[in-house]
Amino acid sequence: MTLLLDIISTAAILFIVAAGLLAIFGVLKIINFAHGAWLTVGAYCAVVTTELGLNPWFALPLAFILGALLGGLTERFIVRPLYRRPLDAILATWGLGIVIGQLITLWFGRDVHFTTALMQGTVDVLGTSYSFYRLFAVLAALAIGLGFAFLLDGTRLGLSAQAVIMNEALARALGIDTEKVRLATFMAGAGLAALAGVLLAPMTSVDPNMGVPWLTGAFMLVMVAGTSFGALAVACLLFGAAQVVVSTFLSPILGGITVAVLCAITLRIRPKWFARA
Amino acid sequence: MSDAAKLQLNGISSGYGAVDVINEVTLSVRSGEIFALMGKNGMGKTTLLKSILGLIKLTRGSVAVDEKSIAGRKPSELIACGIGYAPQEQPLFQDLSIRDNLRLALTSDRKLAAAQERVYGYFPFLKERLSQKAGTLSGGEQKMLILARALMLQPKLLLIDEISEGLQPSVVSKIADVLKHEAASNGTTILLVEQNLDFALSIADRWAVLKLGAIDDQDTNGPDSRSRVLQHLKI
Amino acid sequence: MRDSQKLRLFLLVGLAVVALLLVVFGPAVLGRFSLNVLTRSMIYAMLALTVDLLWGYTGILTFGQAAFFGVGAYATAMVLMHIGASPSLLLLAFVAAIIVPVVLGLIVGWLSFYHGSTPLYATVISLVVPIVMTQIVFSGGVWTGSSSGLVGYDVLPLGLTGFFRLTGFCLLVLAVLAIVFVRSDAGRLLVAIRDNEARVAYLGINPARVKILLTATLAGVAGLAGFLYANASGVVAPENTGFVFGTEIVVWTALGGRGTIIGPVLGAIGIDYLSASLSGDLPFLWQLVIGGLFVVMIIVLPGGLASLVTRHFPRGKGQQSLKAMPTTADANGTDRREDVFVSIENLGKSYGSLAVLKGINLDIRPGELVSIVGPNGAGKTTMMRCLSDGTEPIEGTVTINGHNIAGLAPEGVVSLGVGRKFQVASIFDTMTVAECLRMARLRHVTPSFTRSETEIALPGPAAEILQLTGIAEIMDRPVSLLSHGQRQALELAMVVALEPKLILLDEPTAGLTKAERTTIGTVLKTLTAKLGFAAILVEHDLDFVRDISSRIVVLHHGKLVLDGTVEDVIHSEIVRTIYSGGAHV
Repeated sequence: MTLLLDIISTAAILFIVAAGLLAIFGVLKIINFAHGAWLTVGAYCAVVTTELGLNPWFALPLAFILGALLGGLTERFIVRPLYRRPLDAILATWGLGIVIGQLITLWFGRDVHFTTALMQGTVDVLGTSYSFYRLFAVLAALAIGLGFAFLLDGTRLGLSAQAVIMNEALARALGIDTEKVRLATFMAGAGLAALAGVLLAPMTSVDPNMGVPWLTGAFMLVMVAGTSFGALAVACLLFGAAQVVVSTFLSPILGGITVAVLCAITLRIRPKWFARA
Repeated sequence: MSDAAKLQLNGISSGYGAVDVINEVTLSVRSGEIFALMGKNGMGKTTLLKSILGLIKLTRGSVAVDEKSIAGRKPSELIACGIGYAPQEQPLFQDLSIRDNLRLALTSDRKLAAAQERVYGYFPFLKERLSQKAGTLSGGEQKMLILARALMLQPKLLLIDEISEGLQPSVVSKIADVLKHEAASNGTTILLVEQNLDFALSIADRWAVLKLGAIDDQDTNGPDSRSRVLQHLKI
Repeated sequence: MRDSQKLRLFLLVGLAVVALLLVVFGPAVLGRFSLNVLTRSMIYAMLALTVDLLWGYTGILTFGQAAFFGVGAYATAMVLMHIGASPSLLLLAFVAAIIVPVVLGLIVGWLSFYHGSTPLYATVISLVVPIVMTQIVFSGGVWTGSSSGLVGYDVLPLGLTGFFRLTGFCLLVLAVLAIVFVRSDAGRLLVAIRDNEARVAYLGINPARVKILLTATLAGVAGLAGFLYANASGVVAPENTGFVFGTEIVVWTALGGRGTIIGPVLGAIGIDYLSASLSGDLPFLWQLVIGGLFVVMIIVLPGGLASLVTRHFPRGKGQQSLKAMPTTADANGTDRREDVFVSIENLGKSYGSLAVLKGINLDIRPGELVSIVGPNGAGKTTMMRCLSDGTEPIEGTVTINGHNIAGLAPEGVVSLGVGRKFQVASIFDTMTVAECLRMARLRHVTPSFTRSETEIALPGPAAEILQLTGIAEIMDRPVSLLSHGQRQALELAMVVALEPKLILLDEPTAGLTKAERTTIGTVLKTLTAKLGFAAILVEHDLDFVRDISSRIVVLHHGKLVLDGTVEDVIHSEIVRTIYSGGAHV
């Protein structure tokens, strides 16, 4: 039972972390390597609210807004000049990640921080006591997934974003302001990354480089999932399950690379497999 | 119809990369007329339409709409101020519904209902099948959807790229009726890019032939037009 | 041009001499700290050099060199720690430090490069490899020392100065080898792959294989650097194999100047040395500056600092002269003109539910010039693709020269005697005319790894195309300065230089002037009627088609509706209706 709950909550966390990256990749066709840095920014929002003694929930909107603002600036000044050089965009956003990491270090120091949990204790699920917070993460993942589904299918921006994902040339020819759509998507993706950082903070320790290991996992999942949130959910569940199983029965260290290795192999053998799912 | 130029191309050149596909084209389309631009494949017709909309940058010359230059305006701005476009290559979002394809013609949903009613008047089948995916429509239905979408905004100037391609005669004549009606009752100016000269000449007020990226010949539509155009398109 | 070239050579030699002097006499003037740091910096510079060859020259952005470096270092340390450090074991460690990364490099290369793989995918793999290696080190227990690494093993008995000189010497040798290689004819192939991988494949060279070999070789070089590092520092740690270290190497390369050898070497040494000197005083600020500089550099100066210097020294190639090889009167032999060279049986091709080609049957013999005409969307270009790339999923069979091409990648089809000219001239945009032509000859002429030849021998017809179009006079001109028509002609010459038996041409006259069309037309007629090439031509310009074809095939809605002589087709009612309007055939 614990195993099952572990699988579901691990998949949920992976999904939360990867969703923002996927949104950006889908619309802009660019891999945002500053994603890890924004996770870190979000986590430090939680640190700040804790240190100021504010309600820990306050960190969520704060992180989203800060992330979106930073994302907006990044899109305008770093990503936009590099649309036609996607590999360079990876590098530039990685460089931005270094800058953000060092700024955080200068401000907060290198030490590890801990934050107040948004909620504590355990809860009984069918006779197994399980961390309440990890279950909350599942809810959060569902909320984010449904939120995106609503955004894409229910709003103008979502429809425009879909149009840009499917056929950018046609979207432009129909008078959709593709620059605006890109900017909005990038801001949403960055905000979401920061939000994920807040949610992660209570489960791990917070330090200036905490985002990097998450970045690589999320990056691999997005490569496998292509541009579909459904495919991302499936990939998170499948590879998350593999990670939990390997960590539990073999070694946690090998578990850490399960997602990356399986994704790489999947891409080599069946590159389109998930995208079709 | 008046003599004022709705659309004026002043010696425009444009193309892809180092190559100009369009070479110094000068053309005047009068307000309220249907103008047929014909030419064989690869002669630059599609490029010309894209250049007007700003989808391809001009290397020389200028475009004026209502006698005002539109240099430097984004495609989204041009379309918002009344230019409709029915493209030829990959013209529909295959995986989106008819409704969403129509919605994408407008920037907000406020005027959606009214605009939809307007195009249902021309193509009633759309109303019944709103949630069907565009990719599952037949070839003729897809073409009608493309035209309907271009008409959603009630454009003052309509650019149409090979709408009759691969269609049955009955659908072609249906489309011809719609365009004639649109020009006559709403005063819409239409620039029609075509290979099907029978269709084009059946509704055009004037015509021109594009050859190797330049205007080869142009005139008012008359009894000898067909043979003249055919001469230019000769095999 | 010649003067700047001499100056360039002089500068390079001067630089090498200065470097050699520094390596030999450096220890006399430098303090302990500097010697220590510079030894490490020079090892890192070797890595930057490998990243540069992969990324700057070949276009493969890689974070994986750190992994090969780490594997080399760990292989060395594990041998010395767990087995011993006798001279023979040191040799074993040396061999292992190179062989293991090479094998790993072959595996990584196989994973990363295959027909149809994307550059992003290779980058993804290069990211996974160091992550996996780090985790393996972590889970290696006493064998790898886990998170604390390995320390306290015996090393080469060289001392501080000895290691400084050894490292410096190795770096110098590597840098000189790299400079010689990238300027050689073989080395230009890397740039060709970066510029236009599809064209390389359609010149009959397997780009994936070249990249795999390069990856494996440079993995070995990284392993050598690892061996030096494990000896010089006396300690190896998991960070040495990690992804973050991998990105640092890329940062040095980018700042120094990708696509130059000296830039990344100096970039790595400079930044690493400054980091070590400054980080004591302003540890995080320094990283911040580097990061910021990196972002700005990528956006506004992608060529790195070196591009500030190199723009004053345009890369000159000595005068290239053209030599026409004697032409055999008939490439295929007149007696074989009746043999079918290409046989298309029941060819069909669909994209999803959309059928683009349906049930095409066609035979083509040597000496024929078959034109395919038809309106937009008739499936003409798709048909060309099906004839030249056997990995396209199709129905029916395509047989070329007696071989079914199913499953053959473009380079395989080329070796059956097929040359393809694309619609938009597909050449190598950062090369000169002569270099492009040399790439086209690589299938027949083994290139030199050390020299750049000054004479280029081409088959007669290819040389003739160049002479007729005036390109023969401008062999040293960068192709980016060619006119549209010259680019088309150059690509045609490249295809003919492959000595194919069948040429596929997709709209060779699009955008050409009348005079250029006539020239191309004449050349094509000579190639087919006189020299016995077979050619398939997709063309919109029916006047052109009529003048040069020996046969015309009409496609409409993916079906072959007519196949006959020029007269048959021109006067047929079907063609008239297709072209005058919405006929349904």
